[in-house]
Amino acid sequence: MLRYQENNELHRNFHGSTDNAMRFVEKTCGREALKEVLRKTGRDVYKSIREKLARGDASELIEHLCWFYYRENAPFKLEVSENEIRFEVLACPAHVHMKKMGLEPAPFNCLQTEEVNAGMCEGTPWTSAVEHIGPDHCVQIFRKEPSK
Amino acid sequence: MIPSDHFVRFYNEVFKFLDTRGLLQAYFDDVARYAASRNLEKFKKGGLQAVYDHYLVIRKEENCDLDLEFGDGELHSYMRKCPSLSKVLDNDASASPHYCLHCPGWSLPVNTAAGLYEVYDLMEPDVPHCESWLYDDADRAVKKYRELIAAVPVSRVRTNIPPALLEDAGKE
Repeated sequence: MLRYQENNELHRNFHGSTDNAMRFVEKTCGREALKEVLRKTGRDVYKSIREKLARGDASELIEHLCWFYYRENAPFKLEVSENEIRFEVLACPAHVHMKKMGLEPAPFNCLQTEEVNAGMCEGTPWTSAVEHIGPDHCVQIFRKEPSK
Repeated sequence: MIPSDHFVRFYNEVFKFLDTRGLLQAYFDDVARYAASRNLEKFKKGGLQAVYDHYLVIRKEENCDLDLEFGDGELHSYMRKCPSLSKVLDNDASASPHYCLHCPGWSLPVNTAAGLYEVYDLMEPDVPHCESWLYDDADRAVKKYRELIAAVPVSRVRTNIPPALLEDAGKE
């Protein structure tokens, strides 16, 4: 079950605001500081997902990915096996919407995915990675250490 | 991707981080520049009507419980339940004590550049409600400011009325 149950209107322009916030932190405090803020967001805001991952329960992570990308009309493919989750986003809704707004995503815009996912996995048997297939196309991968 | 639904919880993390670096006001100034890049021309051209139209869209898209009264040279907004602060409070991470300041942080500079005068009552920073009045006439804004600071602590009031016009405010 999702900790945050948003299911009403969407304000997609917030993708531009996220990008603007990332640019400000990167410009004033550096790339590592930006990663720190994003990772903390993953770790603290998504505490519920992280604590479930620590217990071996990936259900909220999977529901989170599917629900919020579905809400943003993103085409995606999900593959789940015992120790791996592969979530392929064929057209990133954040990038698609920013381009509609006439904005170009920052070159480091995808750090939001990489670092937030890493924060969700902190202190759990899971690790995360992102394979970039194209500018708006990636695969988010979560791998669990095999049980001994 | 941070879902657009969850942007404000990330925003809150940015505020807390930048506050530790003494950069929160600089960030609000940056947000105002960004907001101006999206809205200033339409506010300049359309005045109060354009701001009202903008708020109608925001009220819907951001799921605001917001009363808007527009007419006779005044746009009065009463946010009964702010969706932004509500999400920040409904959050496993802690809320920035300065979260509410981002709203006047962008609106006051943008309205100043658009030639509009705003009087903003932040109310309580940990309760998701606030109230503002917007005018294209400075005298009416000063009158509202005087009424407001006579009724509530001045510490919770923000305005972009030029200081010279406020020198005698509250002395009547």
